Amino acid sequence: MMADITYRQALHDVLREELLRDENVFLLGEEIGNFEGSYKITAGLLKEFGPKRVVDTPICENGFVGMATGAAMLGLRPIVEIMTINFIVLAMDEIVNHAAKIYAMFGGQCPVPLVIRTPGGGGQQLSATHSQNLEVWFAHVPGLKVVAPSTPADAKGMMRSAVRDNNPVIFLENLALYNTKGEAPADDYVVPFGKAKVSKEGADLTVISYSRMAAVALDVARRLEKENQLSVEVVDLRSLRPLDHETILNSVKKTNRAIIFEEDWRSYGIGAEIAAILQEYAFDYLDAPIKRVASLEVPLPYSKPLEIAALTGAKQLLETINELAPRRRRGVQR
Amino acid sequence: MSEVNMPRLSDTMQEGTIAHWLKKPGDPVKKGDILAEVETDKATMELQAYDSGVLEQILVQEGETVPIGQAVAIIGSGTGVQKQAQPAAEKAGRAAEEEAPTSRAGRDGQRQEQAAQQTASPTGDTGSSAPLSTPPASAPRERAEAEAGGDGRSIKASPLARRMAEEHHIDLAQLRGTGPGGRIVRDDIEDFLEQKPAASAPAATPPPAAAPTVASQVSIPEDAEAHPISRMQAAIARRLTESKQTIPHFYVSSEVDMTDALAMRQTFNASAGEDGVKVSVNDLIVKACALALEKFPECNGSFKDGQFIQYKHINVGIAVDVPAGLVVPVIRDANIKGVRSIAREAKALIEKARANKLSQTDLEGGTFSVSNLGMMDVTDFIAVINPPQAAILAIASTRKRFVPIDGQPVIRDLMSMTMSADHRILYGATVARFLQEVKRLLQNPFNLLG
Repeated sequence: MMADITYRQALHDVLREELLRDENVFLLGEEIGNFEGSYKITAGLLKEFGPKRVVDTPICENGFVGMATGAAMLGLRPIVEIMTINFIVLAMDEIVNHAAKIYAMFGGQCPVPLVIRTPGGGGQQLSATHSQNLEVWFAHVPGLKVVAPSTPADAKGMMRSAVRDNNPVIFLENLALYNTKGEAPADDYVVPFGKAKVSKEGADLTVISYSRMAAVALDVARRLEKENQLSVEVVDLRSLRPLDHETILNSVKKTNRAIIFEEDWRSYGIGAEIAAILQEYAFDYLDAPIKRVASLEVPLPYSKPLEIAALTGAKQLLETINELAPRRRRGVQR
Repeated sequence: MSEVNMPRLSDTMQEGTIAHWLKKPGDPVKKGDILAEVETDKATMELQAYDSGVLEQILVQEGETVPIGQAVAIIGSGTGVQKQAQPAAEKAGRAAEEEAPTSRAGRDGQRQEQAAQQTASPTGDTGSSAPLSTPPASAPRERAEAEAGGDGRSIKASPLARRMAEEHHIDLAQLRGTGPGGRIVRDDIEDFLEQKPAASAPAATPPPAAAPTVASQVSIPEDAEAHPISRMQAAIARRLTESKQTIPHFYVSSEVDMTDALAMRQTFNASAGEDGVKVSVNDLIVKACALALEKFPECNGSFKDGQFIQYKHINVGIAVDVPAGLVVPVIRDANIKGVRSIAREAKALIEKARANKLSQTDLEGGTFSVSNLGMMDVTDFIAVINPPQAAILAIASTRKRFVPIDGQPVIRDLMSMTMSADHRILYGATVARFLQEVKRLLQNPFNLLG
């Protein structure tokens, strides 16, 4: 029997299980020990595993990401928490110039089994410097893997894959996902990287998304099917690098219409990459221009009404779906 | 520079008429500005600008009808402002003459069928609002080439449509695109493919109703004059012809003693205060019908494709007379709304109807209708079912009558009502029981406040 658990609980449980399973696994980050994490993912773990396995660091992202990279090179399996993705910019050099490159630059002699967990996302009135979605910067870099699960079950399975992977993984979470619930098996399963998931089948058009927006898209698609029988297929990418071309191409070859729905800014975003793949490999299947639904290109305002106006969401997705929907509907049983 | 296209403003809309231009060539426009009012078969709606710039050119004049997707104006930087509009009407008229009448009828029938199939939605009533007539497609070749600037190879079509056309050996120039900017899309290819076999097997299924649609060329007597009818009037003509010709109507009448209901209403309204909305007799009737529909859900349904569709929501349409005809805005979930809420909504809808401001949402989703001529001193009348609904209740005037009570003549307020019902799914006894329940509720009016 599977129980409904929160995304937060799923992460907590899987971290604990990995700490138990492999003594080389350890956690480090700001306020993850005594304070139990800004978002309480690491609650109780310091008590259970002690300060050698759950390490509170000073406020110095470049320092502790560098330290984790070194530890990983020497055989440990660190899981770093960056409090939010906004602070990751301080550790860019360690991630992009070191962690991502070492395995290739040393001829495969030295793997770097490092996981960096970090939540992104806006909507919490944390203003411009604390609400960003910067995953695309990392998805651009060969040598990194970037994953962004949207459900508790995928979060568990992908965290296991991340910890057991021998090279650096950026594990993207989302502030607004932590309290969402879903079923998650209790056994020791893994969700492989590079495999998107069709979270709802549909016939009229495809919405491609990831992380929190994948959850929003699924909700919108279910509602539309119930209310007006528009049949929307939802593809949850789960993994941004490696990216599963096959699943998105198959979906769009079936529905002929695609929307990419992402919380980040539109220009040069994940949507731009997906759109490029679709037009390159499924050109003859496209019946309409590929649409991107993303957030406004502004530093996110603090003011609640302005924040709502700037962030993308269900409303923007619905508008675009209505604009793009074909006249003849295929989802309806005739 | 971007084209402004005739938008699809409702599920069933195939074409729209520009009622008024609110901007003229040379006017600056901002994204979101209302450019024009568009008349569809259901309501008058607004055409919004999706780009900012200068309205350079109006391509479709007031009163002209064009299919969805066709460009009606051009918004640009202002360099190409053209005061003189293109004579689109002339082009369309010429095109209409060239189209063979047989293929048109065939296509019409098919589209109506298609629209009917699309309406299995539990809340939609849109099935019967299939297009009035096929939009006047131009002689295909000429049109495609005109759009493509004389070069047949640069017809706008989606990659998928091109591939499908190639597979089925279809010349894209024969097609009219309904996608954005007139782009030929998969829908158009599929329409075309379905239309071909239909054309080769003529008279398989004649269109269900020979509705009085297009203004005919028939001569009229000298002492009479012909008036063109509005799109709404044409839609009413078509829908009601179809209703009366395809639905086996039957009628059941009953009389209700409204004395207590009127008294209750007076008390109720006296306590409403200065700004309070007054509840009308019709609001009470709407509420009574909604509650009775809860009890007799058979009356809250549709006959469709040999099936009986029963709706979960009870949305009561109220017939409102407007200068150019009749509209039936809908009060949703009337069974769970209080009479004051119903009164407030009904008042707002009637005001919108009179101002010709009803939106698509106001008009769709009805599952039952009430038509009330009580204020006009009518003894009795019979209404035509508003498809795809199964029934409509016609309310006549309430009159003072002598009624024998305990052997004594007593003056009471009596109201007569007649229900028209679809005999394919409703039967006399059901309707009679439904009316009994409406009557019981109105005669014990405090039930309506529960």
